[in-house]
Amino acid sequence: MKLLTCPLNGPRNISEFTYGGEYHPTPDHQLVTPREWAEHVFFHDNAAGVVIEWWCHTASSYWFLAERNTISDQVIRTFPADEIFNQRVEFNQPASSGESN
Amino acid sequence: MSATTVTAALRRSQLYRRHIDLGGHFEQVAESTLVSHYRSIEEERAQVKTLALVDLSALPRIGFKGLGAPDWAAAQGMTLPAQPNRATLQDDGTLIARLSQTELLIASNLSGASTHSAVAVSAVADTTLAERVYSLPRADSHSWLVLCGDLAAETLAKVCGVDLRPHKFANGEVAQTSIAKINGVLIRNDYGDTLAYSIFSDSSSVEFLWDSLLDAMAEFNGAPVGVQALRDC
Repeated sequence: MKLLTCPLNGPRNISEFTYGGEYHPTPDHQLVTPREWAEHVFFHDNAAGVVIEWWCHTASSYWFLAERNTISDQVIRTFPADEIFNQRVEFNQPASSGESN
Repeated sequence: MSATTVTAALRRSQLYRRHIDLGGHFEQVAESTLVSHYRSIEEERAQVKTLALVDLSALPRIGFKGLGAPDWAAAQGMTLPAQPNRATLQDDGTLIARLSQTELLIASNLSGASTHSAVAVSAVADTTLAERVYSLPRADSHSWLVLCGDLAAETLAKVCGVDLRPHKFANGEVAQTSIAKINGVLIRNDYGDTLAYSIFSDSSSVEFLWDSLLDAMAEFNGAPVGVQALRDC
């Protein structure tokens, strides 16, 4: 069986993991157009090569990121999400906005 | 002395039908009934040393999560393991496992009179928790089984992919993994010098896990025992 290394739990059978989709940097929701936001939420690059993906260790519900080569299926490294998400993001309405798009 | 029935208290194990079928004798602990023993105490004391399965699901347990959880727990007088996937036994027998840097699981001692778990449970009920501390009510969501005895590691090797042999998996280590295809938290928590693994898993599938473990234990002549034999370890 394939093994994947969970940053919290160590190497485990791949059957303990759930794929969570591609990772994309979140654009600034205050500046982005609705089109760009929709693309961020719904669209995928499906790139051939090294990509960053969300994975979840199901037994501990631990979400983390993995750098994987989609051509060779080689996992280069896995790392905790707080390497990237290290500050709180507030989704407050901008002071000037009131109209809907 | 009249026998305690399984419905004598407010809380009972999700496995109570299995216990009745096995001829279990129940005892009341706080608001719960749990199996004291199925056979004679002497037989069960011997069974615990080789291979036994105990259902502790009726005992109190609770969890906490959030950036503020470790500091809050330390302020309540709890001793926390320094790193994730480790568990520490408190002075009153309460088991505290650190499942991630910011998540804790607190399980009562065998008498059900654990100060730490009582403090933790009442903190949720009576007061507003500190900022960034969120409670996880584990008593209803998770069952609690203990697989113990010299052959416990051999039994688990049949149903679990993690190397749990005693020389590889020390007392106090935690594995969050799949056990007989059921996701669970497995903690090595020896009772005295008896090798023991506590398994916390989804209570809705615990009948399957109970049957699967008994099936895996059969070739080693394992059997279920009540909580009394574990207390005597």
